[in-house]
Amino acid sequence: MMPGFVLFLISSLTLATVYALVALALNFEAGVDGLWDLGVVSFFAAGAYAYAILTVGPPDQMQVYRLGFGLPLWIGVIGAAGAGTLVAYLIGRASLHLKHVYYLITTFAFAEVIREVLTNERWLTNGTAGMYRMAQPFKSSFETNLYPLVLLLVMVAILVVVFIALNRVTKRPFGRALNALRENEDLAATAGMAPYRYHLRSAMIAGAVAGIAGACYVWFNTVIVPQQFTSSITFVAWTVIVVGGLGNNRGAVLGAFLLILTEDVLRLFDLSSTVAVRVASARVAVIGLILMAVLRWRPRGVLPEKRPRFSRSEALVPAEAPAQGLQQVGSGE
Amino acid sequence: MLETREVSKHFGGVKAVNGVSLMVEEYAIVGLIGPNGAGKTTLFSVISGALSLTSGRVSFEGADISGHRPWEIAEKGVVRTFQTPRGFPRMSVLENMLVFASERTTGFWKNLLAGGRLSAEERRNISRADEILSSVGLLDRRNVLVEELSAGELKLLEFARPLMAKPKMLLLDEPAAGVNPALLEHVVTYITQLRNNGLTFFIVDHNLGFIMDICDHLYVMADGELICSGAPDAVACDPNVIESYIGTKTETTV
Amino acid sequence: MENFVFGIVTGSIILLGAVGFSMTLNSDHFVNVAHGQMLLLGAYLALYFSKLTGNFALGAIISVIMTGALGMLFYAAVYRPIKTKGPLILLFTSVGLSYFIWGIVGAVSGSQTQAYEIPAVRAIRVFGTPLITSYELTIILVAVIFAVSLHLFFAKTRQGKLIRAVADNHDLARIRGINPLRRALYVWFIASGMAAMSGIFLGMISSIDLELGWKQILIILSATVLGGLGSTYGVMFAAILIGLSMELGILILPSHYRSAIAFAIIIIVLLVRPEGLKSVVPALRGRPVESDMESL
Repeated sequence: MMPGFVLFLISSLTLATVYALVALALNFEAGVDGLWDLGVVSFFAAGAYAYAILTVGPPDQMQVYRLGFGLPLWIGVIGAAGAGTLVAYLIGRASLHLKHVYYLITTFAFAEVIREVLTNERWLTNGTAGMYRMAQPFKSSFETNLYPLVLLLVMVAILVVVFIALNRVTKRPFGRALNALRENEDLAATAGMAPYRYHLRSAMIAGAVAGIAGACYVWFNTVIVPQQFTSSITFVAWTVIVVGGLGNNRGAVLGAFLLILTEDVLRLFDLSSTVAVRVASARVAVIGLILMAVLRWRPRGVLPEKRPRFSRSEALVPAEAPAQGLQQVGSGE
Repeated sequence: MLETREVSKHFGGVKAVNGVSLMVEEYAIVGLIGPNGAGKTTLFSVISGALSLTSGRVSFEGADISGHRPWEIAEKGVVRTFQTPRGFPRMSVLENMLVFASERTTGFWKNLLAGGRLSAEERRNISRADEILSSVGLLDRRNVLVEELSAGELKLLEFARPLMAKPKMLLLDEPAAGVNPALLEHVVTYITQLRNNGLTFFIVDHNLGFIMDICDHLYVMADGELICSGAPDAVACDPNVIESYIGTKTETTV
Repeated sequence: MENFVFGIVTGSIILLGAVGFSMTLNSDHFVNVAHGQMLLLGAYLALYFSKLTGNFALGAIISVIMTGALGMLFYAAVYRPIKTKGPLILLFTSVGLSYFIWGIVGAVSGSQTQAYEIPAVRAIRVFGTPLITSYELTIILVAVIFAVSLHLFFAKTRQGKLIRAVADNHDLARIRGINPLRRALYVWFIASGMAAMSGIFLGMISSIDLELGWKQILIILSATVLGGLGSTYGVMFAAILIGLSMELGILILPSHYRSAIAFAIIIIVLLVRPEGLKSVVPALRGRPVESDMESL
């Protein structure tokens, strides 16, 4: 039997892993690319509900949802990634011609509409009563006592894989193209890049990752209700990447763990419920102060984005005379 | 090579460009001058696809490119620069070059699934970028962020960057603006050499001396319309041109 | 008819919030998410002061003035020092400020839903049918008074013209000897005070809870976009339109889709016509949108 605070720590870390995944997704579209997406929760919710609907069993008497495929868990995860991608594609198709504030508001509005739909279309989601008894990975192979740790390890493994994949793409030419669009879209277009196509792809990648995060969130909670998918998820994800360092994947992960642990430290103390509510609010106030302070004194975050350095190509002697170089650079061949 | 026929761009009631027909021959250096607000940059934006045209036709190598988007026009080999060079500020000089590399390496899946090493194309692109950077004397600054460059270095990068795309034609918007005389001389030789290597230039600038020096042919715009054209020494005598230049000077000093 | 009246009331409440939001957007060129929390702050300060003084109207007035003053303070202490750092930094600073205000209000007052202690009123009967309560009438009147007086202020008075001049061109304003800080503080005072009114009125027609600010900022954003960023008259018009469509929409759609209607409207407007209503109705164009609004 694990002591209480260890269980508590495991639960905090598991939640932080979910947020790290959402933050990585958001960082890819908003930090590496420059999309001001205030609706990342849409992808997250789509993934979570896709996972739930694909894996949950048929409804009991108390429940009103009609679907419930009871499919294997791995199909649910693929479905979650697919649903996130699809929602990102649809929202992107509709709104990517909008810039900055307009895009921000549209994505925000989409997130709210999606949440209302999830709340009200009870045949699909069972409404605010939610769906429960969600399938968790490797649940039957381990003792109940040990399972929280197993779940944490599974999610950390997913986080590591996602991190490596996104980080690789970020540092490669694809990520560089997104950086260029973020920095100066008009100039990037003169390099032959169609901004819209790249933006759509970066949003879809974010959608896939946030969708997977959604499935992980279901594992963490084992129940799913629409109230879990308010825009506060989006704001937390933004806070995480702004504090961590916009554009830096390591910053996104670090930011998520810092934020969730800061939030949870105070929960360790035994508090009466009325006091606990107030302390919870005060914690949010502290996070607000941290966000403001970071933006004021360290606007590029705790871990600012770093540019890759390339070593000089061997063929070239550093101190070459300009005129000589010119002869070789002839273009228009 | 590049031809505009009766090209117009109106903003509401303002005729920024009005019925401009001009031609840029292959391997030529053609200049476009005129006072502030004459519509030169607007014409550039229309040619490069950044602005849609109200009427008229733009063709490149005989094919109609009017109404094409900027990236499509860039793919055809027409690359423009901007009046205020900004580059990609928070990316390194070398990365600024690589973004323009003609050899595309930006496929998502390819990037994701490739191993740890740089791809062969990427390595070729880097060595090409290094060559170009050394030709403008920026090789030592290759890993510096563009926002940390001096104004002069930024200007040099502005010339170097589009070359990565192996363009057929460069549209330069005020390349001489803010360039000191010593550097300007370098720029003139550089442009001439590139032309000798097979590049075509269409240049907008205020610096009359520079334009006269470098261009084979000159167009003069005022109030959205072409007012005259010809070889540099011939155009300079035209009273219209002088008048429009006096106009410029008084405007800029206000 | 009932829904129509209630639509106007809802619209008036949105108007008070959205016009203030749009004023700060025009003067400082960033999306001030914390404006929603100023509604929350106003609503809770009114609750506190009406209990303290035993008089709701007095409590409400104190709250409006205090919220306005806090708005000035937040501008001077939080936003102004980072004014040059770009709209994204300002936007997320305002998110930070939102968390801060929300957290403080929550820590002080707890999370339970609360209501003002005001007597229940019967609807005034017009030709025999109950039409409108005196509270609702007050809300509409206050909104109308503010709409008209803001119009007069900006269009006719020297101060109002100066504020617009500062928003349009800081350098010009400075050359003419106008102190931009002072004008900006006026703007933030009025905007935050109106936010407080909006929050208090919301509490009067229903109840107040901690999520009020987050819910309202979305609707305020909708009205601002629908009206066309930068156009005060467009925003006023859009606020009423959204209020009406929310209350009338539930006659057609299931009632729980009430707020989704507002968001659906802005999605549709943005997709079809990103410049908002003012591009459809030329009369709503207060003044041309400056180029830096585009770059927001």
